[in-house]
Amino acid sequence: MLKTAPSRTTVLSPQKQVQVRKRWLTAALMVAPFVLIYLLFLIYPSLRVIQLSLTNADLTGVGRNVGLSNYTKLLREPTFYTALLGTLYFILLTVVPNTLVGLGLALLVMRLRRLRNVVLAAFFLPQVLPVSVVTSIWNWMLDSNFGLVNSVTGSTISWFQDPVWAMPAVALVTIWWTVGFNVLLFIAGLQNIAPDIYEAAALDGAAGWRMFRSITWPNLWPVTSLILLLQLIAQFKIFDQVYLLTGGGPFDKTLVLLLYSYREGFQQQHGGYASAIGVVLMVIILVVSGVQNRLLNRGER
Amino acid sequence: MRITKLLTLGIALSASAQAATTIVFWDFFGGGDGIRMKQIVDDFNKSQKDIVVNRTTQTWGNPFYTKVHTATVSGQTPDVMTYHLSAVPSGLQKNDLRAFSAADLALAGLKATDFQANLVSTLNTDAKAAGKTGLYALPLDTHTYVVYYNKDLLKKAGLLGADGKPTGINSIADLGKALQTIKDKTGVVPAAFSTNQDPATLWRMWYSLFLQQGGTMYKDGKLYLGDLDTKGKAALQTMADWTKSGLLTKNTQYPAAVALFTAGRTAMMFNGNWEVPTMVDAKAKGTIKFDYGIMAFPKLAGNSETWADSHTLAIPNNTKTPMSADKLKAVMTFIGYVNKQGGLGWAGGGHIPSYLPTQNSAAFKALQPNVQYSATAAKDATLEPNVPIFGVGGPVYDAVGNNFTPVLLGQLSADQGIAKFKTALTNFNK
Repeated sequence: MLKTAPSRTTVLSPQKQVQVRKRWLTAALMVAPFVLIYLLFLIYPSLRVIQLSLTNADLTGVGRNVGLSNYTKLLREPTFYTALLGTLYFILLTVVPNTLVGLGLALLVMRLRRLRNVVLAAFFLPQVLPVSVVTSIWNWMLDSNFGLVNSVTGSTISWFQDPVWAMPAVALVTIWWTVGFNVLLFIAGLQNIAPDIYEAAALDGAAGWRMFRSITWPNLWPVTSLILLLQLIAQFKIFDQVYLLTGGGPFDKTLVLLLYSYREGFQQQHGGYASAIGVVLMVIILVVSGVQNRLLNRGER
Repeated sequence: MRITKLLTLGIALSASAQAATTIVFWDFFGGGDGIRMKQIVDDFNKSQKDIVVNRTTQTWGNPFYTKVHTATVSGQTPDVMTYHLSAVPSGLQKNDLRAFSAADLALAGLKATDFQANLVSTLNTDAKAAGKTGLYALPLDTHTYVVYYNKDLLKKAGLLGADGKPTGINSIADLGKALQTIKDKTGVVPAAFSTNQDPATLWRMWYSLFLQQGGTMYKDGKLYLGDLDTKGKAALQTMADWTKSGLLTKNTQYPAAVALFTAGRTAMMFNGNWEVPTMVDAKAKGTIKFDYGIMAFPKLAGNSETWADSHTLAIPNNTKTPMSADKLKAVMTFIGYVNKQGGLGWAGGGHIPSYLPTQNSAAFKALQPNVQYSATAAKDATLEPNVPIFGVGGPVYDAVGNNFTPVLLGQLSADQGIAKFKTALTNFNK
């Protein structure tokens, strides 16, 4: 019913014009539900947040206009920098490690013949658990008095309350939870590399590390850069694991931007200020992902 | 024709069936308190047919107050809820509370003078500070900070008097010495004290020590920070020294601290009276292998003021869909029941009932183990400063966790901790 071939731009007969219009209408109808939802649940709230960030509203969303004063206050607030650094530290601990672990697991899974799907399912399983289940599991695993990890290693560290270990522990939980998705993407990428390239390389005497360096890695780069980008955006938005595992403690050592926004908005009713944090985070993510896209896609050209 | 007949019949039937009024009740009670409140609600629902109370328990602390505020803003509130007296200033600032008129109280057969006077006057002060008049919550109890002790271990340390009470604890230095003696003579960590992800316990202890030296954070109706550098720092330093010498459990979560004490692995526990049911029930089940006692927090300095708070019952200020007269009557009936018939059961949670007829009753005066501390604790009870930033779920708890906990863990000095704390309070109060 739908002809998506491009119409030639010669003078169209009236009949043709009707047809073209019909086609447009059909297309518009098809896209409409998505566009509506997109406008209603993404674009409108985003605009409202920007508007809220210019007011001194509490949680009710009604407030006086205060111009940019939320932003000036924010940029002079030491806690904001604590939260920003916390977020960046978390990104450092997750984005690249998560990608590398995913790649390693994908390469290993590819070598399997019989059990491949079983193993893949095992790696993917944590991904389907909700965050509260994941954090409960790890809270018990890493509990300082009753935890499996401490009773096996004999350590007495209370992981999620230790100023040094809290953030790495949250990062570990995050990697365990989300690596399955990366493994899947990598496997798709690996399967897309044509076997004859490998054959040709093997005829030239390449093997092992050399094969990976010269064939697999460059051919996989589009997937890798995509995963890095998705990871970066996802980890900037870290909130749930920190909220559930450490609450931002000990003494703000695991404070991240969204948790700071939550505290300001929901604990102190500073809706406008909390919105300003959200807007700043949005801008940071846009800028960073733009830069990263530029940098990583250079490898392709 | 037929439809109208059916309709009139239907209306007639439903009117005669007297549909029960449903009340939605939110509380934040877990543990022993939760069991007792459930009992009171069940009894109330069984006692009559006109009102059904639906109880929902929300998370204690900040999540509860956030939920109440969002509910009030959106106009979809519960009909009645529990509320901390310490959170009332912040609740008034957010307009989350509806005032009780004398006529409302009369519906429950209550009057303002039926409640403990200092709690009512605190509520009046709070209302005045917020530029309002009236009673915005009805006190249900006072709960305070007490010392649980293990008689067997204290005897071993030679610190138990003939009356079964700890002896020789009359100053902060005495308490430190006593703890040291326990450590030397018994080898256990002397006192269970939770600081891990639990700023509340630390705050209660620090605030009590601060108050007893005559410190205050509330002067002329405003936040006052003048005593923090002297009395506040001294209190914090003391606690840091005790933790450093291994006299208080280090880096312990709340449930773990309770477990350590009930397992006999510490000789004392500094905690609120709401752990009384834990002790009573465990003793009844035989899981506690030692003799325990409870005492009011001792007088260690110039006065005996001790941190306290009060659970109250309140009605959310739903301006979008105000409560109907019938619903109000039902809610007030329930509130009356909780105070009158439920009072003694609630006291079983270790609390001191605010409703004076219950407080003065012979039954309460004979209630074990409350009698060991209630009379003294009721006199010493001092509420948190009447400033909106204080109180359960308020930002001050966060500031304590962020700036005092590291001092106890030796990661910051007391000077730094107090300085950061002052900065935080100043910022909150902007």
